[in-house]
Amino acid sequence: MKKLLLSISTVWLLAGITLAQTPPPPALTTAAPAIGAAAATTPAPIAITDQDLKSVEPPKADVRAKGDPDGNLTGNVSDIAVSDSKKGLSVADVLNQIGQNKIGINFTWALICGFLIMFMQAGFAIVEAGLCRAKNANHTMMMNFMVYAIGMFAFWIIGFPLQMGGVGGIGNLGGSPVLNGEHVVQIFGKPFGIFGTKGLFLMKDGTYDVSVMLVFLFQMVFMDTALTIVTGTAAERWKYTAFCVSSFVMGAFTYPIFANWAWGGGWLANLGANFGLGKGYCDFAGSGVVHSVGGLTALAMGIIIGPRIGKFSRSGKPNVIQGHDITMVLTGCFILIFGWFGFNPGSTLGASGSGNLRIASVAVNTMLAGTTGAFGAMFYMWMRYGKPDASMSGNGLLAGLVAITAPCGFVNPVASAIIGLVAGVLVCLSVEFVERVMRVDDPVGAISVHGANGLWGVIALGLFADGKSNYGGSWNGVNGSVTGAFYGDTGQLVAQLIGVTALIGFVFTTSFILNWLIDVFVGQRSSAKAELEGLDLPEMGALGYPEFELKPSTTSHGI
Amino acid sequence: MVIAGLAVTVLGFIISLASLTLSASAGGRLGIVLAGLAISLFGIIGLINKAYLKNPIWKK
Repeated sequence: MKKLLLSISTVWLLAGITLAQTPPPPALTTAAPAIGAAAATTPAPIAITDQDLKSVEPPKADVRAKGDPDGNLTGNVSDIAVSDSKKGLSVADVLNQIGQNKIGINFTWALICGFLIMFMQAGFAIVEAGLCRAKNANHTMMMNFMVYAIGMFAFWIIGFPLQMGGVGGIGNLGGSPVLNGEHVVQIFGKPFGIFGTKGLFLMKDGTYDVSVMLVFLFQMVFMDTALTIVTGTAAERWKYTAFCVSSFVMGAFTYPIFANWAWGGGWLANLGANFGLGKGYCDFAGSGVVHSVGGLTALAMGIIIGPRIGKFSRSGKPNVIQGHDITMVLTGCFILIFGWFGFNPGSTLGASGSGNLRIASVAVNTMLAGTTGAFGAMFYMWMRYGKPDASMSGNGLLAGLVAITAPCGFVNPVASAIIGLVAGVLVCLSVEFVERVMRVDDPVGAISVHGANGLWGVIALGLFADGKSNYGGSWNGVNGSVTGAFYGDTGQLVAQLIGVTALIGFVFTTSFILNWLIDVFVGQRSSAKAELEGLDLPEMGALGYPEFELKPSTTSHGI
Repeated sequence: MVIAGLAVTVLGFIISLASLTLSASAGGRLGIVLAGLAISLFGIIGLINKAYLKNPIWKK
């Protein structure tokens, strides 16, 4: 069985790599014959005047009074806003309406996707709670619930201006220019954007603006996703007070600073414009910005807070501590897949114009990578341990989704499947490495799912981007499409790797120092007595399952 | 040891950043960035984590 699975996976992977790099068929050397003479001539433009618009009439009142069962009467010329009622409808009114329709489509798309991402918090909450023991259910759910409020508050008062205060106008959202303050320093003779300065409380400097509100909402739910990753690694022993302080600091400083570098007009995004490295650091929906930031902060927390009592025996051998509800875990994974369709396709911030119809491709890439990620993890566990482990299959799916998050807008479906498959295997290897070599206790596998695979996603973009995407003709201010090393641009891979070192060198160390300070002044870890009893009563004052009798020992060696 | 680990981790990042001025070719920059990445990983896994494993909770 193992050999069969191994050989099928190898053949599939090799075939996939070949397909992903297959060049397009050569263009036909003879032009297709024109159909009729009219096809060869361009029709002369027809000028439309305000007078022409007078002849366009809405449906008659008696016709409208009969209702509109087939939907052909609802929405007509009478629905176009007229700027001067005395003059009547003008060409300018029509053009303004067209422009607002485009922006309206983009607003609606981005807002609905933002709401989907917000719902991912529910998925994370039940995945984490299911993978923890029943005696910590209330505590784990409460952390996942309150991280939303704490993170949003921190982001509103501090984080958002730091992240997006200098992003400039976003064309898909109407190009409002009010977020125009970026703090810049000169390094190597080039401008390096470090943090933004506009948008304080969403009130000052003209930032009480509809497009700014949309940018805030969309970026806020991304930030909250990063914050909730850490609660998984520190679960079952994190003092609630320390959790509140740590989450606030991450939402206010750590996350927004790196997000500014990548998405807010900072120095990483400008590596292409300033140093000729591809299109600069690219991260379509946040493998690096969201998932690696969360995963590396989780690693710092995991090292500082230490393992749960009973996770390692005195010889350092890891013990299995079973979660209490696999049904919750896999249901949570389904919720997360659903939310990911907001995360990735929504990151176009629009559905109309500028190549945004590629949202269909982004959505398919997302589905494929998640699927192959689940396959990769399931087959790995099946071959290595003899059973297709359910929780690791779920983690494999999430790993595939995490890995495709950065490249989803720039790669083809075959590359997506390969990226997901690698992620599914990588998450299993990483879990073993973190647990057995580093001896860091990560109850939900967040370091591996989000940290390791977030970094893999960033690198994968630098390898597999096929140069076929075109979001308005340029990316990060550099003309052309994002193209990876496998398609001829090694500079893009270098830009991605500089992003990876920034994540490790800046995000990890900053998170480590800040959480170490919290450990010194607040204390990160609950008492041993509270941990053994379960954190529900000592920390939260109520049990998650008050009517159940909980067994005191659940580790493989009886602690 | 932890402080040294943090310093080494940041050093790796600085080295990769320095690739922007140390080399003009993509290949040269790639080599320097990979070296920086390896140094940063050593800082975390080889120094910081190792320092915390010297007196872990399971031996107390």
